[in-house]
Amino acid sequence: MMLDSSGYILRETINSMRRNPWLSIASVITVMVSLVILGYSVFFLANASNMAKSFESELEIATFVQISATPEEVQALKIQIEQMQGVDSVTLVTKEQALEDFGKTMGGEQKNILADLGGTNPFPDKLTVKAIDPQNVIALAKSVGALPGVDKVRYGQGFVDQLLKFTQWLRWIGFGVVAAFGVAAIVLISINVKMNVFSRRREIQIMKLVGASNSFIRWPFLIEGMALGLVGGALAALIVGLGYNSLTMYVQSSLTFLPVVQNEFLFRQVSVGLLLAGMAMGALGSGFSLQKFLRT
Amino acid sequence: MIQLTNVSKIYPNGARALVDVNLKIGKGDFVFLVGPSGAGKSTLIKLLYREEKPTRGQVQINSRNLVRMREREVPYLRRSIGVIFQDFKLLPNKTVFENVAFALEVIGVAKREVRIRTLATIDLVGLKAKENAYPHELSGGEQQRVCVARAIINNPALLVADEPTGNLDPETAWDIMDLLYNINKRGTTIVMATHAKAIVNKMQKRVIAIENGRVARDEEKGGYGYDA
Repeated sequence: MMLDSSGYILRETINSMRRNPWLSIASVITVMVSLVILGYSVFFLANASNMAKSFESELEIATFVQISATPEEVQALKIQIEQMQGVDSVTLVTKEQALEDFGKTMGGEQKNILADLGGTNPFPDKLTVKAIDPQNVIALAKSVGALPGVDKVRYGQGFVDQLLKFTQWLRWIGFGVVAAFGVAAIVLISINVKMNVFSRRREIQIMKLVGASNSFIRWPFLIEGMALGLVGGALAALIVGLGYNSLTMYVQSSLTFLPVVQNEFLFRQVSVGLLLAGMAMGALGSGFSLQKFLRT
Repeated sequence: MIQLTNVSKIYPNGARALVDVNLKIGKGDFVFLVGPSGAGKSTLIKLLYREEKPTRGQVQINSRNLVRMREREVPYLRRSIGVIFQDFKLLPNKTVFENVAFALEVIGVAKREVRIRTLATIDLVGLKAKENAYPHELSGGEQQRVCVARAIINNPALLVADEPTGNLDPETAWDIMDLLYNINKRGTTIVMATHAKAIVNKMQKRVIAIENGRVARDEEKGGYGYDA
C-alpha cells in the first residue's frame, strides 16, 4: 500500500507547492532569514569566544622586585617563579630598561630624565609573568606576591575580574541569540505550514471523509515542510558562507588587530548544520500545525 | 444494521441537538429524516459517520460501536460509509475523474485499479462525457452526481445524505433521487435528511420525523407530514 501511495504523496507535495507558490516562497524566505541569522550567530559566538580567549591570553602579572635587590637576586627570583605551577613564561624588564622606556614615552633624552629625577633611578626591576590558564591569573598573582624579595604585584586587579566576567557574558549572550532565533524560526514555519494547511482544509476534510488515515494526510505536508526547510537552509548556508568569507577578508585587510576565525571545519559544520536545522524546522513546524487539524 | 440506543447530544455551547433517541435501521433500508430546521437531523447524520460523538448513549453500525471506537479506527469506518452533502464538497482544482479517483487514491488503492473503478463509477452516475471537466463547468445536478460517485466508489454498505437535493431544481432533484433509488436497490442502506416534501411523499419509504431532538414520528411508507 505504501508503495502505491508514495507516487500520490510526491505528486501532492509538488502540486501543493505549485498551487501556493507565494506561500512556499514565503516559507523558504522565513527559514532562510532565520537560518542566516542563526548561522551568523554561530560565527559571532565563535569569534566572541576566540576574542575573549585572545584578550585573556594577553593577561600578565607585573611583579615588581624590591628596589634593594641585586641583579643576582632578581635572576634567582625569576628562576623560582618559572618553576611555579601554572606559569607559562617569565620576562625580565630591568630597572635600566624601564627608565629608558619611560624616557622614550616622555620624548626627552635619557640622561636628562635621570638628572630630572634627582640622579637616582626610581624604577624597580620588573618580572612579567604569564599564566598558562588565564583563569588562574588571580591565584597565581597572590602566590607570586607572597614570595620573599617581591615588593608588589599588579595584574590589573579590577580589570581582570571584569574582563573574565565580560567574556563569560559574551558567551551567554551568544547562546541566547542562537536559541532565540531558533525558536522564532520554528514558530514562523509552523505559522506558514498552518496557513498552507488552512488553504487546503477542504481537501483535508474530504480526505478524512473518504477514510484517509491521519498518517496519509500528514505525509505530503511533512515532506513539503522539510523540502521548504531544506531549500531555505541551503540558501542560508550559501549566504552565510559567502557573506562571512568576504567579511573576514575585509576585516583581515583593514582591521588587522581583530582576530577573526577562519576555519574550514567550522565552515562545513555550520553549512551542514544549517541544512539539517532547516529540515528539522520544516518537519517540526508542520508537525505542530497538523496536530490540531487532524483531531476529529 | 444501524442502532442508536438512548442517544443524546449536547453541544459545548449548551444546545441540546438530540434527546434520548432510540432507532433501528435495517440493512438495505431507505430512510428519510424529516423535521424543521435545527431539529437535529444533521447531528444525527453526523453521528453515523462519526463526525460527532454522542454525549450519552451508544451508536452501533454493523455491530461496530462508534462511541468506543479508537481515533485511528475511524478512517476504516469511513471507508464503509459514503457521505453526500447539499453543497457537494468537490475540489475545485480537480477534474471529475480526479475528484472521484481521490476517494480511492487517499486510501492507497493501486493506480490501475483506481482508473478502472473510477471510470466504471463515473459511467454509473451518467457523467462519462464529462470526466475531464472541472466542477465549475458543471451544472448543480452534475456536480451532485460527482459527489454521489465519490461516495459510492468504495461500495459502502451505508450511504448518508444531508439534504442532497437542497441546492437543485425539482427536475434535477428527481434525477438524483433516481440515482439513489438504484443504488439502494443494489443493497446499499440509505439515510437521507431532507426538506423535499414532494420527494418524500412520492417515494413512499420509511419516514422518521425529528422535532426538538426527539423522534416525533416513525412510519413505514410515510409522507412528509409538514406543510412547509
